[in-house]
Amino acid sequence: MLVVGLAWLIDQLVISGRSPSTLVPVFIGLIAVVLLRSLFQALQESCSAQASLRIRQYARQVLLDRMAALGPVWLTRQQSGALATQSVEHIEALDGYFSRFHPQLRIVVALPLLILCVVGWFDYLVAFFLLLSAPLIPLFMALVGIGAERLNRDQFMAVSRLSAHFIDRVRGMTTLQLFGHTKAAQQDVWYATDHYRRLSMRTLRLAFLSSAVLEFFASVAIAVVAMYVGFGLLGYIDYGPSPSLTLFSGLAVLLLAPEFFQPLRTLSQHYHDRAAALGAAESLVAILNEHSVVASTSALPRSAQALIELDHVGINYAGRAVVLSDVNVSINAGDVVAITGESGSGKSSLLALMAGFMVPNHGECRIDRTAPIAWLDQAPCILQGTLADNLRLAAPAADADTLTWALQRAGLAELLSGLPDGLETMIGERGVGLSGGQAQRLALARVYLSKARLVILDEPTANLDAATERVVIQALLEWAKEGRTLVMATHHPAVVVAANRHFQCRSGQLVEVAI
Amino acid sequence: MKQFYRDFAPWLKLLLRRRQRFFVGALLVWVTLLAGLSLLGLSGWFIVSCALAGIALAAGLPASLDVYVPGGGIRFFALLRTVARYMERLYNHNTVLTLLADLRYRVFGDLTRLDDASLKRRRASEWLSRLTSDIDNLDNLYLRLLIPPIAALLTILGVSAFIAIWLPVAAAVVAVVLTLLWAIVTVGYGWLGFANSYQQVSDQEELRRLVLDQVQASAELLSYQTQGWHRQKVAQHEAQTFNNQQRLAIKSSVGNAFLSGVTGCLLIATLWIGSIALSAEEVVGPILVMAVIAVLGINEVLVLLPAAFLKLGSSYGAAQRLNALNVNQSVTKVVELPENSKGHSLQFDHVSYTYPEAVSPALINLHAILPARSRVVITGVSGSGKSTLASLVMGRTAPTNGVIHVAGHSPWYVSPEDRAEHFALLTQQTDLFDGTLEENLRIAKPSATEEELWQALSRVALSHWVQQQPKQLLTHVGEKGQQLSGGQARRVALARLMLRNPAVVLLDEPFAGVDAETARHLAASLDQWLVGRTAIFLLHQIDDVALLPNVAYQWRLDEGRLITDTTV
Repeated sequence: MLVVGLAWLIDQLVISGRSPSTLVPVFIGLIAVVLLRSLFQALQESCSAQASLRIRQYARQVLLDRMAALGPVWLTRQQSGALATQSVEHIEALDGYFSRFHPQLRIVVALPLLILCVVGWFDYLVAFFLLLSAPLIPLFMALVGIGAERLNRDQFMAVSRLSAHFIDRVRGMTTLQLFGHTKAAQQDVWYATDHYRRLSMRTLRLAFLSSAVLEFFASVAIAVVAMYVGFGLLGYIDYGPSPSLTLFSGLAVLLLAPEFFQPLRTLSQHYHDRAAALGAAESLVAILNEHSVVASTSALPRSAQALIELDHVGINYAGRAVVLSDVNVSINAGDVVAITGESGSGKSSLLALMAGFMVPNHGECRIDRTAPIAWLDQAPCILQGTLADNLRLAAPAADADTLTWALQRAGLAELLSGLPDGLETMIGERGVGLSGGQAQRLALARVYLSKARLVILDEPTANLDAATERVVIQALLEWAKEGRTLVMATHHPAVVVAANRHFQCRSGQLVEVAI
Repeated sequence: MKQFYRDFAPWLKLLLRRRQRFFVGALLVWVTLLAGLSLLGLSGWFIVSCALAGIALAAGLPASLDVYVPGGGIRFFALLRTVARYMERLYNHNTVLTLLADLRYRVFGDLTRLDDASLKRRRASEWLSRLTSDIDNLDNLYLRLLIPPIAALLTILGVSAFIAIWLPVAAAVVAVVLTLLWAIVTVGYGWLGFANSYQQVSDQEELRRLVLDQVQASAELLSYQTQGWHRQKVAQHEAQTFNNQQRLAIKSSVGNAFLSGVTGCLLIATLWIGSIALSAEEVVGPILVMAVIAVLGINEVLVLLPAAFLKLGSSYGAAQRLNALNVNQSVTKVVELPENSKGHSLQFDHVSYTYPEAVSPALINLHAILPARSRVVITGVSGSGKSTLASLVMGRTAPTNGVIHVAGHSPWYVSPEDRAEHFALLTQQTDLFDGTLEENLRIAKPSATEEELWQALSRVALSHWVQQQPKQLLTHVGEKGQQLSGGQARRVALARLMLRNPAVVLLDEPFAGVDAETARHLAASLDQWLVGRTAIFLLHQIDDVALLPNVAYQWRLDEGRLITDTTV
């Protein structure tokens, strides 16, 4: 409308020689059109952005749900850094597609058609010319598409290879320093990037051609329309609608011609958004398609005293020998169970099964999950946060006094009194570092806080020195004496002695050893 | 503001080292923009001239119009725009990639000067993937924040000057309004979005941290049934992030709308001023149309600026993080160790070390002497301080208290080059690089002959295996040496070590991941190679004393304390 109004105004001013003052309402009308256009543009953009934000939020929720459902057994086999990248960067990479490319894809269909109609109303020859180039548009879209697609795929791969090279060198920085090889490696980094530059310039030379063709057509369209209108106005062309051309209709079609191609040019500018989103989506879908291994709902044990019942249970991982087969165990409230066996004999799998981290391949696993289960393994997890955050992991509702009590009981009273901010001290990577023994005691404090009746432990003292190991084992056995159930994979003789039941994992079987 | 400049300055200087490319790139963008404007402007002029001539002819008045020059001009600009755009894209991408090489070179240089403690602290975090995206962010600076505003300003001035030939008043209005608008969408928008985009980066960092927590604490969250609690934390954080991003999105769309609104109004104002001039017969119709169309096209020059400048904060964050790599390198390294053919004696004099931010010390009051050319085994569980001790001996970390003497000198003051020559360390974590076996070995001795490489491999009982590989020494080891087994990678690392000629050798778990027979082979090779050197074996526990021939001392690390009263 702006363009047509403008053309009419110019026509009136130039040809009819009307004075500007008589056209004031038209000027005001045009200003209104300008402002309306801006308003709608703003609305369209913020709606797209809003939609993209919501989509990303939803995608992240689904992904996190999925990761929770896949459970600890699956997660330990993944690189946590890669998962974090997927949940943050890859989901953000969807933004361009939803807020820019996708709306533009709709515009590319609708807007040229609309413009074609308006142009056709003014002058069907010009419309015919544009229509002739219209079948070319899908062709060029494909051309641009293929070019951009290949460009993006190649670039994507080359870039990630190059980044891998760089990260590889940075990761091994200690080694490079140790060998006094840093200067040469630095040169290497430059050469590798420069080599990549030369390679990708070769691809780019071709890839940019396709958008150049599009650009060329837009330019030629303007030129051809200008020439046609010009000659028509001069009266040199006397067939079709040309004789009835006025400055108004001529100017209008001239100004509309580039608008006809503009959506397509914008689309090709946003094409890399699509490629980035596709690459990201691929990696996300790979996770979403993983099979869940966590027991979603588990049946309650049949016997009233039992906390865990394993019924003809077998575990095997794809491509490996059977880990355990035909396990029949019932663990009752108050049992202290020691599980021994060589590394790789299936102790950890058995414990993961009992904790509900995975479902068995065969048989049934019945666990009483009405109360939380306490879990402790050899590498206690320290969250990035305060000491209190780390304790609340086991009991979100606990107050400060309870937290202090748990720390004291776990033998961390001294540490706590030495911290200036007390429970609010930041620990972990960004804060105070804890030694291995301190971290394990912190995990022990979590066990105390959780009030869990069943405690499952996977070699909790494997990384501790002898003194700390004794203290932790003693504390756990005392905790069990207060009427709790303890299932522990261990090598420690003291545990085997204190246990009232002892199982051994041996060549795929679980054997109860008489005590 | 000063701080802002100081943080960006090193990177801008780096970019401006390529200023010639920079100016040519900006010039090409400018030519492209002007060619587009000229094409439309000239077409408008042409049509109006034709119309006026047509009317005159119809009225039987004598009128003549040269249609060939403008026609040629239209074709010329159509072609120029296409060619200039193609050249511009190619040229500027080339520049961006050249800058990428410069940036990586510089950041890598900063990293090579980091000391052990900083490297260790960083390895643990999710810092590597951040690093490359920060570099890319600064690389983009050139295409997003430097070239477009300069080309836009030049175009504004060019168009105004052109219009000024016929319509000085309108040109003045155009120049003033557009320059103001330019300032608003660059400086103004940079300022407006700064806090939000800066916040966005730290929000993402926080989100990353929360996801990592969920992954790493998944066992605890599941068993304690506290997943809901953690997800609530994530949801809370997301809500905050959502608000911030929404604000940014609204600012961006308002910015674009503001831009098109102002340029639209300016267009109409130009027409209004022009029409008054027209009715006063100061200007002819075709010129008026050309001016109006030029103003119409100017929107394209500015349209990308608001969104790009809104993200200034995130670029600033990237620059800040990369600047942080370039600190604490003020220690002057002066001491030179004596000639290394004799081995060096080691002396710990009440040495303690506490990691920055740690509550308790990693090493407490170490006091011991190791004579030159003798061998010691130090045992201790992981976390007892073995790697810290190695780092101190090699001068990669300075002790918090006490002094270490290597051949009578404090190793901390030895230059890195000298240290690399005198010390060798087999790290617990094997670092192989993505490349061939030969490349990995030559890191230790670039000038090594092929024979020397084979000899080193046979020392670690790998020469037979390598001979069986189709590509032999050119066999690829893969990223992090993943195409080799853990034991093989470890032996390659050991072979690499034995290509050097150090005076002091530290071996962290040299027999990890290899079978008993290979371990004995390695022990024999080491025994031979270690003659005349001072050696420290760092082991979790001693499995087999036969693997440690000629080791005279046995020390033990227990929670940071060194117990030296045991002998083999």
